[in-house]
Amino acid sequence: MSDGPSEKKASYIRREWLLPLVLAILTCSWMLAVEGRQGIGRDESQYFRASERYWGWLESAWTNLRQGHPARAFSRGAVDGAFEDNHEHPALMKMLFGVSWRLFHTCDCTGAKRGLHPIAVTTKHVTLPLFKRESTAFRFPAILLAGLGVALVYWLARRLLRPLPAAVAAVLSVAQPHYFFHAQISCFDVPITIMAVLVAFAYYKSLRSARWGILCGVFWGLALATKHNAWLFPFFLGVHYLWIRRRDFRRLRPPRVPLAFVSMATLGPLVLFIAWPWLWHAPVARTRGWFERHMQHEHYNFEYLGRNWNLPPKDASLKLLRVSFPFVSMLFAVPVTTLALAAAGTIVLVRRRRSQEEQILVEDTPTEPRASWLRPGADVDLSPGVFLALQIAGPIAIVALPSTPIFGGVKHFLPAMPFLCVVGGAGAAWLLACARKLIVAPRLSRLSRLLPPALAGLLCLPAVAETVRSHPDGLGHYNLLAGGFAGGASLGMNRQFWGYSALPLLPWMVQHRPASNRIYWHDVLHDALTMYMRDGRLPIGIGDVGVGEQVLQNSELGIVILEKHFTVYEGLAWQAYGTTQPSAVYTHEGVPFVVAYERHATPPPPPPPSETFAP
Amino acid sequence: MAAAAVVVLALVETVNAVVAPLRAPDERDWKSATATVRAGFRTGDLIVAAPPWADPVMRQQLGDLVPLPVAGRMDAARYGRVWEISQRGARAPETAAGSLAQSSKHRALTVRLWEKKAAQVTFDFLSEWRRAELSVASPSGDTPCAVSADRFVCMGGASLKPELLEIDTTLRNGLALDPVERATVVMTYSSVPLGRELAVAGGLHNVWLRKAGDGKVHLRVLVDGREVGALDGTNQGGWASRRFDTSAWAGRVASVRFEITVDKAASRHFGFAAEARNP
Repeated sequence: MSDGPSEKKASYIRREWLLPLVLAILTCSWMLAVEGRQGIGRDESQYFRASERYWGWLESAWTNLRQGHPARAFSRGAVDGAFEDNHEHPALMKMLFGVSWRLFHTCDCTGAKRGLHPIAVTTKHVTLPLFKRESTAFRFPAILLAGLGVALVYWLARRLLRPLPAAVAAVLSVAQPHYFFHAQISCFDVPITIMAVLVAFAYYKSLRSARWGILCGVFWGLALATKHNAWLFPFFLGVHYLWIRRRDFRRLRPPRVPLAFVSMATLGPLVLFIAWPWLWHAPVARTRGWFERHMQHEHYNFEYLGRNWNLPPKDASLKLLRVSFPFVSMLFAVPVTTLALAAAGTIVLVRRRRSQEEQILVEDTPTEPRASWLRPGADVDLSPGVFLALQIAGPIAIVALPSTPIFGGVKHFLPAMPFLCVVGGAGAAWLLACARKLIVAPRLSRLSRLLPPALAGLLCLPAVAETVRSHPDGLGHYNLLAGGFAGGASLGMNRQFWGYSALPLLPWMVQHRPASNRIYWHDVLHDALTMYMRDGRLPIGIGDVGVGEQVLQNSELGIVILEKHFTVYEGLAWQAYGTTQPSAVYTHEGVPFVVAYERHATPPPPPPPSETFAP
Repeated sequence: MAAAAVVVLALVETVNAVVAPLRAPDERDWKSATATVRAGFRTGDLIVAAPPWADPVMRQQLGDLVPLPVAGRMDAARYGRVWEISQRGARAPETAAGSLAQSSKHRALTVRLWEKKAAQVTFDFLSEWRRAELSVASPSGDTPCAVSADRFVCMGGASLKPELLEIDTTLRNGLALDPVERATVVMTYSSVPLGRELAVAGGLHNVWLRKAGDGKVHLRVLVDGREVGALDGTNQGGWASRRFDTSAWAGRVASVRFEITVDKAASRHFGFAAEARNP
């Protein structure tokens, strides 16, 4: 008996909306449940500060509008006064972080913490106090976006997969230790990854739908307003477009510029301009400055295969080693089962016709006999395999260039990951098809309903387990091939960056706070300390002797973040405190991340006057 | 077959994700291993962690037995007994050529005592730095340097002193100087009791300086005026370690001279250590 229309509709809603919604809610819940264990890095602490200042501008704009002085809020002084802070990155995410903080924090802002805010706090904030910690309120939009990202991966995967393997792809996209690390913090790396999926999804749909063509430009504008990685998206999409229209070249008839690209070229910059007030008073000069900043970005220190990299390599052998970086990092950072599924999925996509016949992939046929610039892919095969390959290979190829900085590690090619997981979903589809064949046998028919979801769950399980295991140190986690945390450390893979890992040592630091209050925090920025104080994790007024090599000797308690290039600071601690013995070490699975030293003895007297005598 | 392999992989990876953290060494393992080392430790023993990334955890437990001169050692040749606290089957390079004298398991950790023939150090150029003479030789002549409480000070601002250095992201005790362009810094030790070899190691200090500069520092080593060897300090060269044959002078006293030059002096802070010894 066939299903009635209402049942079909219910099934459609379950399949296309409810399932991704549940996945998104589960993702957000997971992140909200654990984000508090993850410390605050240098970049995030600065984004907290900038976000609150951006909120300050929004608030003053609203006040000025209400008072009938809109020009005041939009004056160059008012706009630049707020948006100059951290202007090397666009403002969209920071404005969302700031708005979320203002709406959802639990306000005890008028008490002793009043002075810890970068903007004036005049009265107690009326909020919906969803979060106890202010940092969580800042992080909430990133977490919501990560949830949306899972749904987006599902919808993208549904272009070629059935619901169950699409759900596997969605779960795999978030269940990656490095991705998960970046997803729950107030930074831009996962938001721009989600934007990459959003723009790619809209572009793919735009090949047969004009509405999506227009949306594609808006989304690209939002992506530009999120992070500069968005500059590259049109190139990866453009190559795909040329590929699907390759027959036009054979006919010596260049393909039309599709609506999606027209929309990106027009609406994209417009949305960026609207969403980034820093550009309002000097759009050309400041856009140029933004480009120059990131095209000439410094190579910060980063450990890879036992070497510290902080410059583009000059030797041929080192260049070759450096080119291997994204490939080896991906091989060691992504759960092995996910990689295996992606390998299987690659074969499935290469043999797409056969895979469609075997019902591993869903059919996708041209919808119209002729294309138009509104629907430029209506008459051709959309080559989903090539599309995914380009979105994966594009970011990786950029990072593989020896001249590209690699200081962010996996996060520099994070936008490739959701697409890799869609390919992994194709691998899962193949595996589920194999299972279906297995249960054709009558004695196993009772399993027919249970086996596919159970198998899908099993395929997701290692990725979820590895991600749970890695938290809160996802940056230092490497997969089964590498040997986990310890294996990654032995291989000389990067363990961490930007001082986020100090959080587990904070209670110990407070307990051992010296009477002098002279504490050295190494790579933990003062902005991060401020947020730890606002979150109630450090007492207000805890000491900070500052940054740099010289100040360590002025302290009596200090930490050193264990990164390869920070060895020099551990040496300074040995000398300043007269010991090589740390008083505390934070480890994850036995691998050290942070050491703390204390001065037990009175500091040595200053050296005698520099009286010299001839040898 | 391939499908079954993926399913098995998923199971193995899941089980590993659960079990591997439980197999990592914890506080109890370290306490137990530490007790064993302390019970057998003798003055002059070396304690190392394997793999080396576990060194801070080892020092948290046993740092009082790894004072700064030992932690920043030039190499392990002078240590006849090496305690190794190992995990995951790793072996420390300091134990090479050693024979296993003792071994005990402490759950995830293994304590091993390795015994080897210790090099007999006849002269340590680092600790005896005050016995040296330092001068800067340039086309305009030789300028002797003065010695202060903690360093040599030369005309024009150059200086040389013992320092704890970060070379190749490892901490080393060494004699450190900023080499001078178009001049040779000459450090001369007279009456050095030599053994069969002269071990010299050196490199460029400080990760930021290695990033900022690209000059090459050249160190020549001469015994009684005869060059026995040389090494270069470069950005990629790390802690360059050399052993020069001095058997012709073994058991005798000779003059040892270190000559240091540089092609581009900007951001170069060179450190070296040397020992005369009988391996």
